[in-house]
Amino acid sequence: MGAIMKHLVVPIIIAAALLSLSGCKSEKTDEAAATTAAITDTGGSAAGDFGPPQGEPINAILTSPPLVPPPTGRSTPAKVIVQLEVREVEMEISEGVKYTFWTFGGTVPGSFIRVRQGDTVEFHLKNHPDSKMPHNIDLHAVTGPGGGAASSFTAPGHASQFTFKALNAGLYVYHCATAPVGMHVANGMYGLILVEPPQGMPKVDKEYYVMQGDFYTVGKYREKGVQPFDMQKAIDENPTYVLFNGSEGALLGDNALKLNVGETVRMYVGNGGPNLVSSFHIIGEIFDKVYTEGGSRYQENVQTTLVPAGGSTIIEYKAEVPGTGVIVDHSIFRAFNKGALGMVKTSGPENKAIYSGKEVDSVYLGDKAVSAAPVAAAATATAGGVLTLAQQIKAGEALYNGTCSVCHQSNGDGIPNVFPPLAKSDYLNADKTRAIGIVLNGLNGPVTVNGAKFDSVMPPMSQLNDDEVANIVTFTLNSWGNKGGRVTAADVAQVRKATPRPQGAAH
Amino acid sequence: MRSVLLACCLFSTASFAGSAYVRVPAGGFSSVLKYEDSKGKQKIVGFELMKNPVTNAQFLAFVRKYPQWQKGKAPKAFAEPTHYLSHWQSALVLGGKVKPQQPVTQVSWFSASAYCEAQGARLPTWNEWEYTAAADRTRHDARKDPAWRESILGWYAKPSNTPIADVGKTPANVYGIQDLHGLIWEWTEDYSAMLVSADNRNQSDPDKSKFCGASALSMADKENYAVMMRVAMLSSLEAVNSTSNLGFRCAKPLP
Amino acid sequence: MKKLLFALFFCFALTTNAATPLPGDSVLQINNTFTNQDGKNFKLSERRGKPQLIAMFYTSCRYICPLIIDSGKGVDNSLTPAERNNLSILLVSIDPKRDTPKALMYIVNKRKLDTKRWTLARTDEKGVRTLAALLGVRYRMLDDGEFNHTSALILLDAEGRILARTETLGSKPDPQFLVAVKKALAPTGKR
Repeated sequence: MGAIMKHLVVPIIIAAALLSLSGCKSEKTDEAAATTAAITDTGGSAAGDFGPPQGEPINAILTSPPLVPPPTGRSTPAKVIVQLEVREVEMEISEGVKYTFWTFGGTVPGSFIRVRQGDTVEFHLKNHPDSKMPHNIDLHAVTGPGGGAASSFTAPGHASQFTFKALNAGLYVYHCATAPVGMHVANGMYGLILVEPPQGMPKVDKEYYVMQGDFYTVGKYREKGVQPFDMQKAIDENPTYVLFNGSEGALLGDNALKLNVGETVRMYVGNGGPNLVSSFHIIGEIFDKVYTEGGSRYQENVQTTLVPAGGSTIIEYKAEVPGTGVIVDHSIFRAFNKGALGMVKTSGPENKAIYSGKEVDSVYLGDKAVSAAPVAAAATATAGGVLTLAQQIKAGEALYNGTCSVCHQSNGDGIPNVFPPLAKSDYLNADKTRAIGIVLNGLNGPVTVNGAKFDSVMPPMSQLNDDEVANIVTFTLNSWGNKGGRVTAADVAQVRKATPRPQGAAH
Repeated sequence: MRSVLLACCLFSTASFAGSAYVRVPAGGFSSVLKYEDSKGKQKIVGFELMKNPVTNAQFLAFVRKYPQWQKGKAPKAFAEPTHYLSHWQSALVLGGKVKPQQPVTQVSWFSASAYCEAQGARLPTWNEWEYTAAADRTRHDARKDPAWRESILGWYAKPSNTPIADVGKTPANVYGIQDLHGLIWEWTEDYSAMLVSADNRNQSDPDKSKFCGASALSMADKENYAVMMRVAMLSSLEAVNSTSNLGFRCAKPLP
Repeated sequence: MKKLLFALFFCFALTTNAATPLPGDSVLQINNTFTNQDGKNFKLSERRGKPQLIAMFYTSCRYICPLIIDSGKGVDNSLTPAERNNLSILLVSIDPKRDTPKALMYIVNKRKLDTKRWTLARTDEKGVRTLAALLGVRYRMLDDGEFNHTSALILLDAEGRILARTETLGSKPDPQFLVAVKKALAPTGKR
């Protein structure tokens, strides 16, 4: 080997070693990651067929919102028979406003359906004889053409049937898919079907069903009467109402969702659209868990979560304090101007450690506040019985600036025709006892100060104690060319005793 | 010579002649349905169409004369027993809730065809119906007018809890024909030619094997929801079906 | 002369076959006259008495119709000789203008159909509409004379009532449909 090669050998060996080491390392990380993923993946539809149904066929329990059917409690796949009826119904969308809804099961959103992954669902769709329109159904839980829409097109007064196997767990939207689809959805034809994972959903104390939708009427928001659907507004994606569970009062007042302190709650939340995406939030609460988009994994500690149009989410939290949580779409004009508002009322004992309620209501002077140090010094001196005039004046100035200067101004000039001056005031200098009485009791009616007439209202300064009044009056007497003098706390106490407090004064 | 059949009186048993026929002249026409095979306009040959849909009174006279079409007697294959004339009190009695001048509903395609044939007429084709219904009071083709569309959509939005109005109460269109909108759905001779996929979202993707060389029946004018909904309705029906909002009128060739 | 639809089932009482009227849901109640590949006229009620397969097609169909014949043959081939004897197959054209008896015979020969059991027939336009409506077949004539139509093979019992239908076409028969056919042909079955 030549000399050159000899020099290269070591670096080459080192380089090779480094490369192989790093190769090993990343392999291990990949392996670890792969293993982690393999443990928690549900396997999707490929792993969702648990074989033929066992046992007797079960008639599914359907519930109207906001209630949810009980857990299936099953551990084997079953045949579940679902009977769902379409009805076209006129109902109130807002107080005094009627709208013709097209519904699954007579409600908006439609009945909640609950099955278990691997179940064989025999679906019967019935279209009430009074319906004007044909309808069908597309369940997002169905693996098959149109989600069932192709097999369920039903004329009024007739029924259709089709069967599917629920291969994927999750919370799925269902909706009508008859042309024009947007109009059928906008009229309220949507709901949720929950396909439980094989082990069931973890136990919680309460479960609720909430579904948002946008609505389009010819009339304006809350314009009374029977309102027809407005196709142009729907195309423009300009809703008149954005609502939870199909009407403005659906989750308000007596219809608010109920919880007790200490309970865990799960909400199955859907968004029928037809157009808007929801920024789902409950004021006063944080979601401990959010099963994003109604799937199998959860995020933790979420304030606001997105619910796509034609999609869902599952939120869970524990109620720790009593009060009313407000359910909103946090695109906030929808909440306050279009009705996207609901309530959760939690009752039970308060827990001040977590939320105290209002503790202090104090005066906030903002930039009007001056240093309170002189006031403190005066207080100490008074306590020690050694209050000097200088200390009184200094304390009085601080207090004057915090209370009196708003009207009488910091230079004592007042405001012409409105608030009388204190500077070089003949009225003040004439009678200091009268001055004390005015601070304590206020003054109504006409006065003449320095030749100018005033007719205003000065409120009684009920918030001041004797020391404070004494210091303020002493300060004014010794400022702005006034004649000087001193007022003691005892003087103030005497005036307070001798004069009646006007109505509304505190003390 | 134009044959004019007078509108019959209430409870007429002498003849079940339908209401007057009105002449609809020939014309070119762009259907809102886009037939992949046709190149644009359809040609409508002139024909006559009933001014109003067939009424309860007229259909009652028909089943008096042809008892095999009475409720309870019509064979299952031609009229589904649960629905056929189910709102009538009995086979030959309308009953208090059913008014003679309301359009007859709960009739199957077979029974509607039979009625028309009994007077030497037939059901109109979809194209003839759409052509005539495109008109409003002043225009032959009002379909592009958003106000016209909204007013039709308005009827679809109303629930069926109010009784159907009598025929002849809506203003006649420019041809002189009434009640094409806002009253009932109407059978056509070729309702079964509405070859639309039951899942209406697949419109532009024809299932060639399902419809044998399917030429997709899609919407040329996607904004004409009024017509889209009529097509959806007809495509959901079998000939033997009837619904509480579905009636008919007859057509015949020019004399 | 145009047949009046409302006189449809006046004639069932006059058929030579049966004294009792056809059941209310029988397809054979249709009163229109049909003509077979030999030019012979007949009524559907004359085919009462044995189960049969029925379908609608047209001879110049390029896409699916050949498969309809394959489907019929496929069912045939899955039957025992005894079963085959009891089953007849009727194909009716939706294109009466072009499908004359001669055109029908052409197909019979081309596909080597046994006319003892296979019948290809035509009727007038009104008859086509009515039969299609009874069978739930939908069709539309295109500008070029072709047709769009749904394709189904339908099993009728001996009285003409619909027992089963399949839209799965081809020489390999739809298994569920085949079960229904065999059941209908079983000796203790329907009459």
